[in-house]
Amino acid sequence: MRAMDASVPAEHRLKVLRSVLAAVNVGAVVIDADGRVVLWNAWMSRHSGLAQEDVVGAELLAACPGLRGGRVDSAIGQALRDNFASVLSQSLNKAPFALYASAAAGARGERLQQAVEITPIDVEGAARHCLVQISDVSVAVAREKLLREQAMVLRSQTFADGLTGIANRRHFDVAMEKEHRRAKRAGAALSLLMIDIDHFKAYNDHYGHQKGDQCLIQVAAGLAGMLKRPCDLMARYGGEEFAVILPELDLDQAGRIAETIRARALELAIPHARNGEVPYVTVSIGITSQPRGAPVDIEALIGAADRALYEAKNRGRNRCAALNP
Amino acid sequence: MIVLSELENDALVEIFNIGVGQAAASMSAIVNEAVRMSVPSITFIHRAEAARLLRNQVFEPERICGVSQHYEGAFETEAILMFPEDKSLEIVRLMVGESVPLAELTDMEQEAMCEIGNIILNSCVGTLANIFQHELRGSLPAYHVGTSEEILTAPGSEPDAVVLMLHIDFVLEKHQIQGYVAFVLDLSAMHDLKAQINRYIARAMGQA
Repeated sequence: MRAMDASVPAEHRLKVLRSVLAAVNVGAVVIDADGRVVLWNAWMSRHSGLAQEDVVGAELLAACPGLRGGRVDSAIGQALRDNFASVLSQSLNKAPFALYASAAAGARGERLQQAVEITPIDVEGAARHCLVQISDVSVAVAREKLLREQAMVLRSQTFADGLTGIANRRHFDVAMEKEHRRAKRAGAALSLLMIDIDHFKAYNDHYGHQKGDQCLIQVAAGLAGMLKRPCDLMARYGGEEFAVILPELDLDQAGRIAETIRARALELAIPHARNGEVPYVTVSIGITSQPRGAPVDIEALIGAADRALYEAKNRGRNRCAALNP
Repeated sequence: MIVLSELENDALVEIFNIGVGQAAASMSAIVNEAVRMSVPSITFIHRAEAARLLRNQVFEPERICGVSQHYEGAFETEAILMFPEDKSLEIVRLMVGESVPLAELTDMEQEAMCEIGNIILNSCVGTLANIFQHELRGSLPAYHVGTSEEILTAPGSEPDAVVLMLHIDFVLEKHQIQGYVAFVLDLSAMHDLKAQINRYIARAMGQA
Protein backbone atom coordinates (compact mmCIF):
# COMPACT_ATOMS: atom_id res chain seq x y z
CA MET A 1 0.00 0.00 0.00
CA ARG A 2 2.75 2.37 1.00
CA ALA A 3 4.58 1.90 -2.30
CA MET A 4 1.34 2.48 -4.22
CA ASP A 5 0.60 5.62 -2.23
CA ALA A 6 4.03 7.00 -2.97
CA SER A 7 3.58 6.45 -6.67
CA VAL A 8 0.66 8.89 -6.71
CA PRO A 9 1.82 12.21 -5.27
CA ALA A 10 -0.40 13.76 -2.62
CA GLU A 11 -0.91 16.84 -4.72
CA HIS A 12 -2.26 14.80 -7.61
CA ARG A 13 -4.59 12.85 -5.35
CA LEU A 14 -5.96 16.12 -4.01
CA LYS A 15 -6.76 17.22 -7.57
CA VAL A 16 -8.51 13.91 -8.24
CA LEU A 17 -10.54 14.25 -5.04
CA ARG A 18 -11.57 17.75 -6.03
CA SER A 19 -12.72 16.54 -9.46
CA VAL A 20 -14.63 13.62 -7.91
CA LEU A 21 -16.44 15.97 -5.53
CA ALA A 22 -17.36 18.18 -8.45
CA ALA A 23 -18.66 15.21 -10.44
CA VAL A 24 -20.71 13.26 -7.86
CA ASN A 25 -24.46 13.40 -8.18
CA VAL A 26 -25.18 14.31 -4.56
CA GLY A 27 -24.88 17.52 -2.62
CA ALA A 28 -21.83 17.50 -0.34
CA VAL A 29 -21.26 20.18 2.28
CA VAL A 30 -18.61 20.10 5.01
CA ILE A 31 -19.06 22.20 8.13
CA ASP A 32 -16.27 22.92 10.61
CA ALA A 33 -16.50 23.00 14.41
CA ASP A 34 -17.59 26.66 14.32
CA GLY A 35 -20.46 26.00 11.94
CA ARG A 36 -18.67 27.48 8.93
CA VAL A 37 -18.84 26.00 5.45
CA VAL A 38 -15.51 24.43 4.47
CA LEU A 39 -16.70 22.63 1.35
CA TRP A 40 -19.66 23.23 -0.98
CA ASN A 41 -19.56 21.03 -4.06
CA ALA A 42 -20.63 21.80 -7.64
CA TRP A 43 -23.97 19.94 -7.20
CA MET A 44 -24.84 22.33 -4.35
CA SER A 45 -23.89 25.40 -6.42
CA ARG A 46 -25.92 24.12 -9.36
CA HIS A 47 -29.10 23.51 -7.35
CA SER A 48 -28.86 26.35 -4.82
CA GLY A 49 -27.66 29.13 -7.11
CA LEU A 50 -25.04 29.93 -4.43
CA ALA A 51 -21.51 29.89 -5.83
CA GLN A 52 -18.78 28.12 -3.91
CA GLU A 53 -16.81 31.32 -3.34
CA ASP A 54 -19.85 33.02 -1.80
CA VAL A 55 -20.54 30.25 0.67
CA VAL A 56 -17.18 28.79 1.69
CA GLY A 57 -15.94 30.54 4.81
CA ALA A 58 -19.41 31.80 5.75
CA GLU A 59 -21.51 30.34 8.53
CA LEU A 60 -23.96 27.78 7.14
CA LEU A 61 -26.85 29.47 8.93
CA ALA A 62 -25.89 32.82 7.39
CA ALA A 63 -25.76 31.28 3.89
CA CYS A 64 -28.97 29.28 4.43
CA PRO A 65 -30.96 31.21 7.06
CA GLY A 66 -34.02 28.95 6.60
CA LEU A 67 -32.19 26.12 8.39
CA ARG A 68 -31.93 27.96 11.72
CA GLY A 69 -33.63 26.15 14.58
CA GLY A 70 -34.72 23.23 12.37
CA ARG A 71 -33.76 19.56 12.24
CA VAL A 72 -30.70 20.16 10.03
CA ASP A 73 -29.38 22.72 12.52
CA SER A 74 -29.82 20.38 15.49
CA ALA A 75 -28.45 17.33 13.61
CA ILE A 76 -25.30 19.28 12.69
CA GLY A 77 -24.96 20.28 16.34
CA GLN A 78 -25.32 16.64 17.37
CA ALA A 79 -22.68 15.53 14.84
CA LEU A 80 -20.16 18.20 15.93
CA ARG A 81 -20.83 17.96 19.65
CA ASP A 82 -21.81 14.32 20.28
CA ASN A 83 -20.19 12.56 17.30
CA PHE A 84 -23.56 11.12 16.20
CA ALA A 85 -24.76 10.63 12.63
CA SER A 86 -28.34 11.56 11.63
CA VAL A 87 -30.72 10.92 8.76
CA LEU A 88 -33.46 13.34 7.75
CA SER A 89 -36.09 11.59 5.68
CA GLN A 90 -38.03 13.31 2.93
CA SER A 91 -41.36 12.26 4.49
CA LEU A 92 -40.73 13.87 7.87
CA ASN A 93 -38.73 16.88 6.69
CA LYS A 94 -40.18 18.71 3.75
CA ALA A 95 -37.21 19.92 1.66
CA PRO A 96 -35.11 21.73 4.32
CA PHE A 97 -32.56 23.16 1.82
CA ALA A 98 -33.56 25.75 -0.78
CA LEU A 99 -32.49 23.58 -3.73
CA TYR A 100 -34.16 23.57 -7.14
CA ALA A 101 -34.03 21.31 -10.20
CA SER A 102 -33.79 24.31 -12.53
CA ALA A 103 -34.05 28.08 -12.58
CA ALA A 104 -37.68 27.72 -13.67
CA ALA A 105 -38.46 25.47 -10.69
CA GLY A 106 -36.71 28.06 -8.51
CA ALA A 107 -38.95 30.80 -9.85
CA ARG A 108 -42.00 28.65 -9.02
CA GLY A 109 -40.56 27.93 -5.56
CA GLU A 110 -40.66 24.15 -6.18
CA ARG A 111 -37.86 22.68 -4.10
CA LEU A 112 -36.13 19.37 -4.85
CA GLN A 113 -37.40 16.54 -2.66
CA GLN A 114 -34.47 15.78 -0.38
CA ALA A 115 -33.04 12.99 1.73
CA VAL A 116 -30.27 14.26 4.00
CA GLU A 117 -27.52 12.42 5.87
CA ILE A 118 -25.32 14.17 8.40
CA THR A 119 -22.14 12.41 9.54
CA PRO A 120 -19.37 13.57 11.89
CA ILE A 121 -15.90 13.40 10.29
CA ASP A 122 -12.47 13.54 11.86
CA VAL A 123 -10.02 15.90 10.23
CA GLU A 124 -6.34 15.56 11.08
CA GLY A 125 -5.10 18.49 13.11
CA ALA A 126 -8.50 20.16 13.52
CA ALA A 127 -11.59 19.93 15.70
CA ARG A 128 -14.32 17.60 14.40
CA HIS A 129 -16.14 18.56 11.19
CA CYS A 130 -19.32 17.15 9.74
CA LEU A 131 -20.41 16.10 6.28
CA VAL A 132 -23.89 16.88 5.02
CA GLN A 133 -24.98 14.75 2.05
CA ILE A 134 -28.14 15.62 0.19
CA SER A 135 -29.73 13.40 -2.45
CA ASP A 136 -32.55 14.27 -4.79
CA VAL A 137 -35.41 11.81 -4.17
CA SER A 138 -37.99 13.60 -6.34
CA VAL A 139 -38.41 10.57 -8.64
CA ALA A 140 -39.07 8.19 -5.75
CA VAL A 141 -41.51 10.65 -4.17
CA ALA A 142 -43.46 10.99 -7.42
CA ARG A 143 -43.57 7.20 -7.85
CA GLU A 144 -44.90 6.68 -4.35
CA LYS A 145 -47.49 9.40 -4.80
CA LEU A 146 -48.77 7.52 -7.85
CA LEU A 147 -48.75 4.24 -5.93
CA ARG A 148 -50.68 5.83 -3.09
CA GLU A 149 -53.25 7.36 -5.41
CA GLN A 150 -53.84 4.10 -7.23
CA ALA A 151 -54.19 2.24 -3.96
CA MET A 152 -56.70 4.88 -2.84
CA VAL A 153 -58.74 4.43 -6.03
CA LEU A 154 -58.91 0.69 -5.42
CA ARG A 155 -59.88 1.29 -1.85
CA SER A 156 -62.51 3.88 -2.70
CA GLN A 157 -64.48 1.13 -4.42
CA THR A 158 -65.04 -0.44 -1.00
CA PHE A 159 -65.74 3.04 0.34
CA ALA A 160 -68.76 3.78 -1.81
CA ASP A 161 -72.37 3.62 -0.63
CA GLY A 162 -74.13 0.76 -2.43
CA LEU A 163 -77.32 2.70 -3.19
CA THR A 164 -76.28 6.27 -3.93
CA GLY A 165 -72.69 5.73 -5.11
CA ILE A 166 -71.36 8.58 -2.95
CA ALA A 167 -68.96 7.94 -0.02
CA ASN A 168 -70.25 5.58 2.65
CA ARG A 169 -70.08 5.89 6.42
CA ARG A 170 -66.75 4.07 6.61
CA HIS A 171 -65.25 6.48 4.10
CA PHE A 172 -66.61 9.38 6.14
CA ASP A 173 -65.01 8.06 9.35
CA VAL A 174 -61.60 7.65 7.68
CA ALA A 175 -61.76 11.03 5.91
CA MET A 176 -62.92 12.78 9.09
CA GLU A 177 -60.04 11.29 11.07
CA LYS A 178 -57.57 12.41 8.38
CA GLU A 179 -58.96 15.94 7.97
CA HIS A 180 -59.26 16.40 11.71
CA ARG A 181 -55.57 15.58 12.20
CA ARG A 182 -54.56 17.71 9.26
CA ALA A 183 -56.53 20.68 10.65
CA LYS A 184 -54.95 20.19 14.06
CA ARG A 185 -51.41 20.08 12.66
CA ALA A 186 -51.92 23.02 10.36
CA GLY A 187 -53.95 25.02 12.90
CA ALA A 188 -56.67 25.30 10.24
CA ALA A 189 -60.46 25.49 10.51
CA LEU A 190 -62.64 22.46 9.73
CA SER A 191 -66.38 22.54 9.12
CA LEU A 192 -69.00 19.83 9.13
CA LEU A 193 -72.57 19.78 7.77
CA MET A 194 -75.27 17.28 8.72
CA ILE A 195 -78.04 17.13 6.15
CA ASP A 196 -81.37 15.37 6.62
CA ILE A 197 -84.24 14.98 4.14
CA ASP A 198 -87.39 16.48 5.69
CA HIS A 199 -90.32 14.12 6.41
CA PHE A 200 -88.59 11.26 4.61
CA LYS A 201 -90.56 8.61 6.52
CA ALA A 202 -93.77 10.20 5.29
CA TYR A 203 -92.32 10.22 1.75
CA ASN A 204 -91.60 6.48 1.96
CA ASP A 205 -95.05 5.76 3.42
CA HIS A 206 -96.76 7.78 0.70
CA TYR A 207 -94.69 6.83 -2.40
CA GLY A 208 -93.26 3.41 -1.40
CA HIS A 209 -89.68 2.30 -0.74
CA GLN A 210 -88.65 2.09 -4.40
CA LYS A 211 -89.52 5.75 -4.90
CA GLY A 212 -87.80 6.42 -1.59
CA ASP A 213 -84.58 4.90 -2.93
CA GLN A 214 -84.91 6.92 -6.14
CA CYS A 215 -85.30 10.08 -4.05
CA LEU A 216 -82.12 9.28 -2.04
CA ILE A 217 -80.13 8.68 -5.25
CA GLN A 218 -81.33 11.94 -6.81
CA VAL A 219 -80.72 14.04 -3.71
CA ALA A 220 -77.27 12.49 -3.11
CA ALA A 221 -76.15 13.13 -6.70
CA GLY A 222 -77.66 16.63 -6.82
CA LEU A 223 -76.13 17.80 -3.55
CA ALA A 224 -72.71 16.11 -3.97
CA GLY A 225 -72.40 17.95 -7.30
CA MET A 226 -72.45 21.27 -5.40
CA LEU A 227 -69.04 20.61 -3.80
CA LYS A 228 -66.28 22.07 -5.92
CA ARG A 229 -63.03 21.43 -4.07
CA PRO A 230 -61.37 17.98 -4.21
CA CYS A 231 -60.92 17.99 -0.42
CA ASP A 232 -64.66 18.41 0.25
CA LEU A 233 -66.46 15.15 0.93
CA MET A 234 -70.15 14.30 1.07
CA ALA A 235 -71.04 10.91 2.52
CA ARG A 236 -74.23 9.01 3.25
CA TYR A 237 -74.13 9.06 7.04
CA GLY A 238 -77.11 6.80 7.59
CA GLY A 239 -80.72 6.37 6.30
CA GLU A 240 -81.72 9.72 4.82
CA GLU A 241 -78.90 11.59 6.52
CA PHE A 242 -75.81 12.95 4.74
CA ALA A 243 -72.61 14.48 6.15
CA VAL A 244 -70.29 16.96 4.42
CA ILE A 245 -66.68 17.59 5.48
CA LEU A 246 -65.44 21.06 4.53
CA PRO A 247 -61.73 21.46 5.38
CA GLU A 248 -60.31 24.94 6.01
CA LEU A 249 -63.69 26.69 5.99
CA ASP A 250 -64.95 28.67 8.98
CA LEU A 251 -68.53 28.79 10.26
CA ASP A 252 -69.58 31.66 7.96
CA GLN A 253 -68.10 30.11 4.83
CA ALA A 254 -69.60 26.72 5.68
CA GLY A 255 -72.95 28.47 6.28
CA ARG A 256 -72.94 29.91 2.75
CA ILE A 257 -72.24 26.47 1.26
CA ALA A 258 -74.99 24.95 3.42
CA GLU A 259 -77.44 27.55 2.14
CA THR A 260 -76.62 26.80 -1.54
CA ILE A 261 -77.02 23.09 -0.80
CA ARG A 262 -80.41 23.68 0.84
CA ALA A 263 -81.53 25.79 -2.13
CA ARG A 264 -80.26 23.17 -4.58
CA ALA A 265 -82.34 20.43 -2.91
CA LEU A 266 -85.47 22.50 -3.44
CA GLU A 267 -84.48 23.20 -7.08
CA LEU A 268 -84.40 19.47 -7.75
CA ALA A 269 -88.21 19.84 -7.49
CA ILE A 270 -88.88 16.25 -6.42
CA PRO A 271 -92.61 16.16 -5.56
CA HIS A 272 -93.35 15.43 -1.89
CA ALA A 273 -97.06 15.67 -1.11
CA ARG A 274 -96.54 15.08 2.62
CA ASN A 275 -93.93 17.78 3.20
CA GLY A 276 -96.18 20.43 4.73
CA GLU A 277 -96.22 23.88 3.10
CA VAL A 278 -93.65 23.15 0.35
CA PRO A 279 -94.86 20.29 -1.90
CA TYR A 280 -91.28 19.29 -2.82
CA VAL A 281 -88.46 17.38 -1.15
CA THR A 282 -86.47 19.74 1.13
CA VAL A 283 -83.54 19.30 3.48
CA SER A 284 -82.57 20.67 6.87
CA ILE A 285 -78.90 21.32 7.57
CA GLY A 286 -76.90 21.57 10.81
CA ILE A 287 -73.60 23.45 10.55
CA THR A 288 -70.63 23.45 12.87
CA SER A 289 -67.00 24.45 12.60
CA GLN A 290 -63.82 23.86 14.54
CA PRO A 291 -62.13 27.26 14.88
CA ARG A 292 -58.54 27.81 13.70
CA GLY A 293 -56.02 26.70 16.30
CA ALA A 294 -58.69 25.45 18.73
CA PRO A 295 -59.26 21.79 17.88
CA VAL A 296 -62.06 19.81 19.52
CA ASP A 297 -62.74 16.07 19.46
CA ILE A 298 -64.36 14.55 16.39
CA GLU A 299 -67.23 13.38 18.62
CA ALA A 300 -67.79 16.96 19.82
CA LEU A 301 -67.84 18.22 16.24
CA ILE A 302 -70.35 15.60 15.11
CA GLY A 303 -72.43 16.21 18.26
CA ALA A 304 -72.61 19.95 17.55
CA ALA A 305 -73.62 19.37 13.91
CA ASP A 306 -76.34 16.97 15.10
CA ARG A 307 -77.70 19.50 17.60
CA ALA A 308 -77.65 22.22 14.94
CA LEU A 309 -79.59 19.91 12.61
CA TYR A 310 -82.13 19.24 15.38
CA GLU A 311 -82.51 22.99 15.80
CA ALA A 312 -83.07 23.50 12.05
CA LYS A 313 -85.81 20.84 12.20
CA ASN A 314 -87.37 22.45 15.27
CA ARG A 315 -87.48 25.84 13.62
CA GLY A 316 -89.64 24.45 10.83
CA ARG A 317 -87.35 22.49 8.44
CA ASN A 318 -86.09 23.50 4.96
CA ARG A 319 -83.48 25.68 6.66
CA CYS A 320 -79.96 25.75 8.06
CA ALA A 321 -78.84 26.27 11.66
CA ALA A 322 -75.32 26.76 12.98
CA LEU A 323 -73.77 25.91 16.36
CA ASN A 324 -70.22 26.14 17.69
CA PRO A 325 -68.83 22.84 18.98
CA MET B 1 -26.06 -13.97 33.47
CA ILE B 2 -25.30 -10.52 34.66
CA VAL B 3 -27.52 -9.21 37.37
CA LEU B 4 -27.92 -5.53 38.05
CA SER B 5 -28.39 -4.26 41.57
CA GLU B 6 -31.60 -2.37 42.25
CA LEU B 7 -29.61 0.87 42.32
CA GLU B 8 -27.99 0.15 38.95
CA ASN B 9 -31.32 -0.80 37.43
CA ASP B 10 -33.02 2.37 38.69
CA ALA B 11 -30.16 4.53 37.46
CA LEU B 12 -30.39 3.07 33.96
CA VAL B 13 -34.19 3.34 33.81
CA GLU B 14 -33.90 6.99 34.83
CA ILE B 15 -31.18 7.70 32.24
CA PHE B 16 -33.16 6.09 29.43
CA ASN B 17 -36.36 7.90 30.41
CA ILE B 18 -34.48 11.20 30.06
CA GLY B 19 -33.24 9.98 26.66
CA VAL B 20 -36.61 8.95 25.23
CA GLY B 21 -38.15 12.11 26.69
CA GLN B 22 -35.79 14.16 24.52
CA ALA B 23 -36.54 11.93 21.52
CA ALA B 24 -40.28 12.50 22.07
CA ALA B 25 -39.72 16.27 22.18
CA SER B 26 -37.78 16.16 18.87
CA MET B 27 -40.53 14.11 17.24
CA SER B 28 -43.27 16.40 18.57
CA ALA B 29 -41.43 19.29 16.94
CA ILE B 30 -41.40 17.44 13.60
CA VAL B 31 -45.09 16.50 13.54
CA ASN B 32 -46.43 19.44 15.55
CA GLU B 33 -48.38 17.06 17.76
CA ALA B 34 -47.80 15.68 21.24
CA VAL B 35 -45.60 12.56 21.16
CA ARG B 36 -44.93 10.89 24.49
CA MET B 37 -42.39 8.15 25.18
CA SER B 38 -41.31 6.31 28.27
CA VAL B 39 -39.21 3.33 29.31
CA PRO B 40 -41.18 1.42 31.95
CA SER B 41 -38.54 -1.27 32.46
CA ILE B 42 -35.23 -2.73 31.33
CA THR B 43 -33.82 -6.26 31.42
CA PHE B 44 -30.49 -7.92 30.75
CA ILE B 45 -30.87 -11.18 28.88
CA HIS B 46 -28.94 -13.44 26.53
CA ARG B 47 -29.41 -12.78 22.86
CA ALA B 48 -31.25 -16.06 22.18
CA GLU B 49 -33.60 -15.31 25.05
CA ALA B 50 -34.21 -11.78 23.72
CA ALA B 51 -35.10 -13.24 20.33
CA ARG B 52 -37.56 -15.65 21.98
CA LEU B 53 -39.16 -12.83 23.97
CA LEU B 54 -39.69 -10.82 20.79
CA ARG B 55 -40.98 -13.79 18.86
CA ASN B 56 -43.71 -14.19 21.46
CA GLN B 57 -44.84 -10.61 20.80
CA VAL B 58 -45.84 -11.26 17.21
CA PHE B 59 -48.12 -13.70 15.52
CA GLU B 60 -46.50 -15.85 12.84
CA PRO B 61 -45.78 -15.16 10.05
CA GLU B 62 -45.52 -11.54 11.10
CA ARG B 63 -42.08 -10.02 11.03
CA ILE B 64 -40.12 -7.56 13.13
CA CYS B 65 -38.90 -4.22 11.81
CA GLY B 66 -35.59 -3.01 13.17
CA VAL B 67 -33.50 0.13 12.85
CA SER B 68 -29.92 -0.44 13.97
CA GLN B 69 -26.94 1.78 14.65
CA HIS B 70 -23.43 1.00 15.75
CA TYR B 71 -21.84 2.95 18.61
CA GLU B 72 -18.28 2.77 19.88
CA GLY B 73 -16.20 4.62 22.44
CA ALA B 74 -16.46 4.15 26.21
CA PHE B 75 -18.21 0.89 25.32
CA GLU B 76 -19.18 -0.70 22.04
CA THR B 77 -22.70 -1.72 21.14
CA GLU B 78 -25.15 -2.34 18.35
CA ALA B 79 -28.36 -0.50 19.24
CA ILE B 80 -31.56 -1.71 17.59
CA LEU B 81 -35.05 -0.20 17.79
CA MET B 82 -37.63 -2.91 17.13
CA PHE B 83 -41.37 -3.00 16.53
CA PRO B 84 -43.63 -5.75 15.18
CA GLU B 85 -44.12 -4.96 11.49
CA ASP B 86 -47.76 -3.83 11.82
CA LYS B 87 -46.81 -1.47 14.67
CA SER B 88 -44.04 0.07 12.58
CA LEU B 89 -46.59 0.69 9.83
CA GLU B 90 -48.81 2.37 12.41
CA ILE B 91 -46.02 4.57 13.80
CA VAL B 92 -44.71 5.73 10.44
CA ARG B 93 -48.17 6.45 9.07
CA LEU B 94 -49.13 8.33 12.23
CA MET B 95 -45.92 10.36 12.08
CA VAL B 96 -46.06 11.06 8.36
CA GLY B 97 -49.80 11.77 8.61
CA GLU B 98 -50.65 10.02 5.38
CA SER B 99 -51.92 6.52 5.07
CA VAL B 100 -50.95 4.15 2.31
CA PRO B 101 -53.21 1.13 2.21
CA LEU B 102 -50.29 -1.26 1.72
CA ALA B 103 -49.11 -4.06 4.00
CA GLU B 104 -45.42 -3.14 3.84
CA LEU B 105 -43.48 0.05 4.38
CA THR B 106 -42.63 1.74 1.09
CA ASP B 107 -39.07 2.93 0.46
CA MET B 108 -39.86 6.45 1.62
CA GLU B 109 -41.60 5.09 4.71
CA GLN B 110 -38.58 2.90 5.51
CA GLU B 111 -36.48 6.04 5.34
CA ALA B 112 -38.88 7.79 7.73
CA MET B 113 -38.70 4.77 10.07
CA CYS B 114 -34.88 5.06 9.94
CA GLU B 115 -35.17 8.68 10.99
CA ILE B 116 -37.49 7.81 13.88
CA GLY B 117 -35.02 5.10 14.99
CA ASN B 118 -32.12 7.50 14.54
CA ILE B 119 -33.76 10.10 16.80
CA ILE B 120 -34.66 7.58 19.52
CA LEU B 121 -31.31 5.75 19.52
CA ASN B 122 -29.19 8.93 19.41
CA SER B 123 -31.20 10.40 22.30
CA CYS B 124 -30.85 7.26 24.42
CA VAL B 125 -27.14 6.81 23.75
CA GLY B 126 -26.54 10.56 23.95
CA THR B 127 -27.98 10.74 27.46
CA LEU B 128 -25.96 7.71 28.44
CA ALA B 129 -22.73 9.19 27.03
CA ASN B 130 -23.44 12.52 28.67
CA ILE B 131 -24.02 11.00 32.07
CA PHE B 132 -21.00 8.73 31.78
CA GLN B 133 -18.99 11.78 30.63
CA HIS B 134 -17.63 9.79 27.71
CA GLU B 135 -18.09 10.23 24.02
CA LEU B 136 -19.49 7.51 21.76
CA ARG B 137 -19.28 7.62 17.99
CA GLY B 138 -22.54 6.74 16.22
CA SER B 139 -23.05 5.35 12.71
CA LEU B 140 -25.90 6.05 10.32
CA PRO B 141 -29.01 3.87 10.85
CA ALA B 142 -29.83 0.78 8.79
CA TYR B 143 -33.32 -0.68 8.27
CA HIS B 144 -34.00 -4.41 8.61
CA VAL B 145 -37.08 -6.56 8.47
CA GLY B 146 -37.17 -10.24 9.39
CA THR B 147 -37.58 -12.66 12.28
CA SER B 148 -36.44 -11.60 15.74
CA GLU B 149 -33.41 -13.92 15.40
CA GLU B 150 -32.42 -12.33 12.10
CA ILE B 151 -32.74 -8.81 13.45
CA LEU B 152 -30.82 -9.52 16.65
CA THR B 153 -27.98 -11.41 14.98
CA ALA B 154 -27.63 -9.05 12.01
CA PRO B 155 -24.84 -7.01 13.61
CA GLY B 156 -22.58 -10.01 14.32
CA SER B 157 -22.72 -13.28 16.13
CA GLU B 158 -20.61 -13.46 19.26
CA PRO B 159 -22.15 -16.48 20.96
CA ASP B 160 -21.95 -14.98 24.44
CA ALA B 161 -23.54 -11.65 23.55
CA VAL B 162 -26.02 -10.21 26.01
CA VAL B 163 -28.79 -7.77 25.31
CA LEU B 164 -29.86 -4.81 27.40
CA MET B 165 -33.55 -4.63 26.48
CA LEU B 166 -35.59 -1.48 26.97
CA HIS B 167 -39.37 -1.68 26.83
CA ILE B 168 -40.62 1.45 25.13
CA ASP B 169 -44.08 3.00 25.25
CA PHE B 170 -44.81 5.33 22.38
CA VAL B 171 -47.97 7.46 22.48
CA LEU B 172 -49.20 9.56 19.56
CA GLU B 173 -52.79 10.78 19.27
CA LYS B 174 -54.86 8.04 20.90
CA HIS B 175 -52.48 5.30 19.85
CA GLN B 176 -50.23 3.57 22.32
CA ILE B 177 -47.57 1.40 20.75
CA GLN B 178 -45.08 -0.85 22.51
CA GLY B 179 -41.64 -1.55 21.15
CA TYR B 180 -38.13 -2.39 22.22
CA VAL B 181 -34.66 -0.99 22.08
CA ALA B 182 -31.92 -3.63 22.32
CA PHE B 183 -28.30 -2.85 23.06
CA VAL B 184 -26.29 -5.87 21.97
CA LEU B 185 -23.13 -6.07 24.07
CA ASP B 186 -20.30 -8.57 24.21
CA LEU B 187 -18.96 -9.48 27.64
CA SER B 188 -16.23 -6.86 27.73
CA ALA B 189 -18.66 -4.14 26.60
CA MET B 190 -21.06 -5.36 29.26
CA HIS B 191 -18.40 -4.93 31.97
CA ASP B 192 -17.44 -1.50 30.60
CA LEU B 193 -21.08 -0.45 30.81
CA LYS B 194 -21.49 -1.78 34.35
CA ALA B 195 -18.31 0.02 35.43
CA GLN B 196 -19.65 3.27 33.95
CA ILE B 197 -22.98 2.90 35.75
CA ASN B 198 -21.22 2.40 39.06
CA ARG B 199 -18.96 5.39 38.47
CA TYR B 200 -22.09 7.45 37.80
CA ILE B 201 -23.87 6.17 40.89
CA ALA B 202 -20.80 6.86 43.03
CA ARG B 203 -20.62 10.40 41.64
CA ALA B 204 -24.32 10.93 42.15
CA MET B 205 -24.05 9.82 45.76
CA GLY B 206 -21.08 12.08 46.37
CA GLN B 207 -18.57 9.30 46.85
CA ALA B 208 -16.36 10.09 43.90
